[in-house]
Amino acid sequence: MSQPAQRIGLFICHCGRNIADTVDVEDLARVFREEGELTVVEHYTYLCSDPGQNLILNAIKSKRLDGVVIASCSPILHEETFRAVAEAGGMNKYKVDIANIREQCSWVHDRTPETTNKAESIIRASIAKVRHSQQLQPIKSPVVKRALVIGAGVAGIQAALDIATAGIEVVLVEKNPSIGGHMAQLSETFPTFDCSQCILTPKMVEASRNPLISLYTYSEVEQVSGSMGDFHVKIREKPRYVYTDKCTSCGDCTRVCPVVVPSEFDMGLQSRKAIYIPFPQAVPAVYTLDVDNCLGLFPLACGKCRDACGAKAINYDMKPKIFEEHVGAIVVATGFDLYPMNNLGEYGYDKIADVIDGLYFERLVSASGPTLGVVRRPSDGKIPKEIVFIQCAGSREPERHKGYCSKICCMYTAKQAMLYQRRVPGGQSYIFYIDVRAGGRDYEEFYRRALDEGVIYIRGKVSKVYQEDGKIVVRGADTLAGGPVEVKADMVVLATAMEPSRGIKDTAHKLGIQCTADGWVREIHPKLRPVEAVTPGIYLAGTAQGPKDIPETVAQASGAASKVIGLLSRSEITKDPLVAVVEEEHCVGCKMCLMQCPFSAREWVEDRHVAVVNAVLCEGCGVCAAGCPSGATTQAGFTNQQIYAQLAALLYESPGMIHRTLGINDPIRPDEIAVNETDTEPVKALK
Amino acid sequence: MKVGYYPGCTLKGKAKSLDDTTMLAVRLLGNELVEIPDWTCCGATTPLTETKIANLIAQTRLLAKTRDAGYEGLVTTCPFCFSTLKRANKSLRDDSLKRRRMNTYLAEDQRLRDYEIPKPAWEEYSGQVKVLHMLEWLRDEIGFEYISRAVRRPLSDLRVAPFYGCQLLRPSEDLALCDPENPVILEDFLRVIGADTLDFPARIDCCGSYLSIAKPSAALRASFRILDAARRLGADAIIVTCPLCFYNLDSAQPRMLAEFADFRTIPVLYFTQLLAFALGSPMELLGLDSHTVDPKPVLMKIKRTAGVEP
Amino acid sequence: MNRTIVIPEVDIRRKSAARIAELSGQNIAGCIQCGKCTAGCMFAYEMDLDPHQVVRLSQLGMVDELVNSEAIWYCATCFTCGNRCPVKIDIAAVSEALRLIAYRTCPEKFGPDHVSDYDAQNAPQQALVSLYRKLGI
Repeated sequence: MSQPAQRIGLFICHCGRNIADTVDVEDLARVFREEGELTVVEHYTYLCSDPGQNLILNAIKSKRLDGVVIASCSPILHEETFRAVAEAGGMNKYKVDIANIREQCSWVHDRTPETTNKAESIIRASIAKVRHSQQLQPIKSPVVKRALVIGAGVAGIQAALDIATAGIEVVLVEKNPSIGGHMAQLSETFPTFDCSQCILTPKMVEASRNPLISLYTYSEVEQVSGSMGDFHVKIREKPRYVYTDKCTSCGDCTRVCPVVVPSEFDMGLQSRKAIYIPFPQAVPAVYTLDVDNCLGLFPLACGKCRDACGAKAINYDMKPKIFEEHVGAIVVATGFDLYPMNNLGEYGYDKIADVIDGLYFERLVSASGPTLGVVRRPSDGKIPKEIVFIQCAGSREPERHKGYCSKICCMYTAKQAMLYQRRVPGGQSYIFYIDVRAGGRDYEEFYRRALDEGVIYIRGKVSKVYQEDGKIVVRGADTLAGGPVEVKADMVVLATAMEPSRGIKDTAHKLGIQCTADGWVREIHPKLRPVEAVTPGIYLAGTAQGPKDIPETVAQASGAASKVIGLLSRSEITKDPLVAVVEEEHCVGCKMCLMQCPFSAREWVEDRHVAVVNAVLCEGCGVCAAGCPSGATTQAGFTNQQIYAQLAALLYESPGMIHRTLGINDPIRPDEIAVNETDTEPVKALK
Repeated sequence: MKVGYYPGCTLKGKAKSLDDTTMLAVRLLGNELVEIPDWTCCGATTPLTETKIANLIAQTRLLAKTRDAGYEGLVTTCPFCFSTLKRANKSLRDDSLKRRRMNTYLAEDQRLRDYEIPKPAWEEYSGQVKVLHMLEWLRDEIGFEYISRAVRRPLSDLRVAPFYGCQLLRPSEDLALCDPENPVILEDFLRVIGADTLDFPARIDCCGSYLSIAKPSAALRASFRILDAARRLGADAIIVTCPLCFYNLDSAQPRMLAEFADFRTIPVLYFTQLLAFALGSPMELLGLDSHTVDPKPVLMKIKRTAGVEP
Repeated sequence: MNRTIVIPEVDIRRKSAARIAELSGQNIAGCIQCGKCTAGCMFAYEMDLDPHQVVRLSQLGMVDELVNSEAIWYCATCFTCGNRCPVKIDIAAVSEALRLIAYRTCPEKFGPDHVSDYDAQNAPQQALVSLYRKLGI
């Protein structure tokens, strides 16, 4: 509701020389004082300074001002400052308006009379706006002290643990039967050669045992609604057909299952049954029945696993379950996948058995892997004497595959080459590279170690790989020595590009968050706000945001957790009330605003046949206010009345302007302005 | 689709057997291909630099003639012709500058050339005709299914190495015939006529092309590598689509015998020769006498096993 | 190349590089010298300059060096390089641009006198036509 401000104070800032050098601030002050319409007119060198603020504060108190216009720099810088001053003076802080005469005037023009005219226009518009301003109160919304973490790889696990440490309940959702993500598949990690599972499994166990963490595995987020502090989430748990509290992971079921399929965890290096546990250290340590590969449950084709289960833990009648959770913050930690080899034609389209990718090699060389860490050729099981590693397989190829660098491949290829040469005495690895990117601490030294240990680096890409007489012929180039290079290798390992986890686009859509063109989840600001998604209340961690290694992932996860803890440590959230407002009598029920709102903040009320505003979700973008055909929707702080007043001030109320440029002394009334050539003069002058 | 046949100058000259066996095979399939009236040389190469727009004139004129003769498409057997015609066609579709230049020039040329003979005005050509290679036409218009049923002399026991060469496949964005890293159309074709096709990694390599005349020893080495690889795989013959591949791989074999100690000859055949033979044509009509390396023993082998008389 | 590369003065370098880029229609500056073209070129080992080095010298505007090299006359225009280049530079087009520049400065590189009698009698027409267009005037 509008309470016209009667007692308005105008404060013009010199901003040192930033404004005063170009705009004649003293003349402006004189003009407004002489007009006598404003209660206070002051100018000062630095209004944002303590003395400056005190000047304003004293004026507000002594003159009982109920509206303030500050002619200064952009509101981005000091709107909050001056609002705080107004509040301290007993005024409603939303009755302060900033007239930007710096970024929009003094900084973009030269010192001419026209520039001062323009500053005067801007100020007049501001005054008009403040005249029609409203006494607004901040909107408060509740904060639910619980968090949701989507994805339980190392990023999700770390974030969940950190949030739980602060005493906040966490719901941790993972789509696979076990948590751990890709880190659980790795052998040893760079630059320390730490065994990956050894450092990860303690965290996995902690996550499962922590009383504040509710773990949903084999589950996915189905629906999200609400806003920061108050999200409603539906989680769909796929049926495992195994009671998690009864399964003892004895493995009797697996032994009798007749179905054999490639193991996803082992990248197809070994197989699993239809009822399986992904890896021995899986958390939760229970079996899962993969119904897509099972011979059939309805009608029951086999039933052997149920018969074999001593703990009576198998139930074929399980159905998907939907759980509803109420949380205040969400962390997206959905991780990555590798670019499929069947896109790389020159490297064989994934048809040559002995051409594998990085994760496959990790399973091969992993001490707890299918070959117990013995490096064997997939085709015949022989131990290779010469291995070629190809870096940038699909990365840094903007015209054909992925344009970006996947960051970790240089390091893990050096690691894999060293692991291979240590395991196979006399074995030789060749790495075809374009650059070696070793940016972290101890990373460059790690790469040098590879050189010392006899790994041969060949600078040049590989053009073609094909099979001949049981070997794989690699046709590459050595751009440093100069010339094409041919290597006949026993095995080829491709460092394929990292890409966002499959299904992220779907999840992003459900959450209402933005992704980049490549599918990585977008942060608000890549340098200054790297763990916050553009949507408030949603945070990101790990490779979902972009390629990165384990130290960075863990750091980012803790960073996201700290943001979550900060948000949830408040009992309520306050937000600026500059949201859309509806005059219900004028709403005709056209529903256009419902379609236009990017934040799903307009809601339809059937019995009153009107569209109302959810003030908590509304971000005050103004689209529905602008688009409302009946004018029922307006925006608090930017009402139609205020905007028209600003326009009138800009168009008609600038006697000084016409006085200064056209040499006419009397102010022109609106109805006297005719549309002819002379009317365009002021516009040209301002240029 | 109504298509006109474009043999190209090489097929009427030094590669007569390719043209003859194409026509023969088409007839044996109960079909007919009519040459585009009044055709000229296509120019063989596509200009790669921005200034040589004039080198697109022949292609544009040819394609416009095809359109004027009432054909929706043009089919050719020679990969050089296929490549340059298809690429020119794409340029004319996508590059407005080239299209305007070509059409302006040809409109003027049409008006001035033999000006005393009344002619219709030049109609703008902007890529209306589709350019097909013979293998595509056989696959899509005749159908490989149909061909397999028309085969009277299945080529079982004949182990062949298919050789694509370069002009048929690359640049793959423009030619879009097949996957450049793993093409299958020639293998599919050979399988349909019953031959045992080998997995031949060198099938997309370059035989040396025109460098066999300009840099003979370099091209000899390139061709040798291909033939040697085919032979070591156990191929009875190597199947080509291009007259220049044929020339480089076939006629250079005596020199290879002289230069490379472990080289053994291997006959080279055009895919259409094999097609005509599989459809029942007598060997005499295949033009085998012009080959440097005699392929008759290999073909006789099939006849004996199939028990079919010529 | 076993001597110091003297990079031409900036205006000359820019003009030369721009000329090659414009003539060939390729974004030569985008080449990061990965070497994939050299790796796939059937004739790279016959050339005095590798294909990627041809692009490198083009970036440095060293036209004289390139025009006098043998490498650009060994291109068979098989397009393996351009098809596999991660930034889609058609190195065959760069070679052709350099040959065009060469024609204006070098004596005739290839003409009917260079064709052997055997080839003149037996080579398919397409070979001779493409030869004159690629390597001749």
